[in-house]
Amino acid sequence: MNGTPRGANRILLALFGLVFLAVGALLIAVAAFPAAARWWQGWAKPAAESLADLAHSTALPGQGGSWLWIAVAVAMVLLVIAMITWVANQGKGRASTLVSTAGDAQDDGAAGRVAIGAAVAEQALKTALAERSDLVGSWVTTYELRGQPAVKVRVLPRQGVAPHTVAADVAALVQALDEVLGFQTPVLISIGAGARSRFTKAERVR
Amino acid sequence: MTASMERILRREMHSSRAPLAGLAATVVALLAIYILLEAVLRAVGQPPWLVDPLAAATNLASLPAGVSPLLLGLIGAVVMLVGLVFVLNAILPGRRARHAIANPRAAVVVDDEVVASALARRARLAAGVTREQVMVVVSRNLVQVNVRPTSGIPLDGDTVRTAVEDELDAMELLPRPVVRVALAPMGVVGV
Repeated sequence: MNGTPRGANRILLALFGLVFLAVGALLIAVAAFPAAARWWQGWAKPAAESLADLAHSTALPGQGGSWLWIAVAVAMVLLVIAMITWVANQGKGRASTLVSTAGDAQDDGAAGRVAIGAAVAEQALKTALAERSDLVGSWVTTYELRGQPAVKVRVLPRQGVAPHTVAADVAALVQALDEVLGFQTPVLISIGAGARSRFTKAERVR
Repeated sequence: MTASMERILRREMHSSRAPLAGLAATVVALLAIYILLEAVLRAVGQPPWLVDPLAAATNLASLPAGVSPLLLGLIGAVVMLVGLVFVLNAILPGRRARHAIANPRAAVVVDDEVVASALARRARLAAGVTREQVMVVVSRNLVQVNVRPTSGIPLDGDTVRTAVEDELDAMELLPRPVVRVALAPMGVVGV
């Protein structure tokens, strides 16, 4: 439920995947079929020669270099920046404020702003969950979801504990928190079995 | 509220592909950095580090020449395989081994391993066997319960099925899987 750009991930992976597929298919075709090799040389040799001509005609005065290489370098810098931006956008979206509302004179007689940190909900839920003996561990984090904070509760029950009772109990805790805070935020309760569950599709338990 | 809940549930039930995206970005960035290095060396008139860009272009253009066809085909196959992995990851739904649980207040997802563990416990109590004699496999639409009875003690598959169905009904999983119980023909001795 973090802010990973999933659409962008799919589109960029498809794009790079298609490029890799095309390059790989071309290499195999050139290696395996003489006709494909002739076609490739007929197309690529003039292209390489025109590239060399371009490099010569755009040569910088007084140096051996060419504008072409500077243009290539700039394009590569932009590509690297784009890749770093892409990676930096994975898993972002942690929030530190649960709610921030402006008060006014009509509200309770005082103008100002009320902000409740995300740690309030996180620590309240975590402390309440720590008392339970049927849970191995619990994590509470707050994410920003389209500008709105949402709380994620990850609990790891012991083997054999019924997940729906855990879900109902945690939901009751969340409702108690709603009463205390006076407002509702979207809540995700994620019941898991540790890191192992991420790598297998069908789960086998004796 | 419900719209954001549905969005949360949809995102939690599917994989985000973040690790593969990071891998793809790293590969592309490393390639770009290498090309950047050679281009800058060429631009300032220094000798190339590994290969001159123009020489590389000429070599590529005359490709089947200069490389053994086996090696070239092998490289092509590896590159194609990497591309196939990327494309399949982009296209396939990428469902995680999870189910949703209906809840009025919160979006609830549960890993299939937890469901399997709870159902295995219930099946074990209904059948009166030990932990080692029950194995439960939970997938998206099917719960497969495998029980090996204790030798000499008859075991009714319907009892196990009813117990597991009861537990599954109480869980209110979305989507709700079908239960299939299989009793092993061979009993277990010495438990």
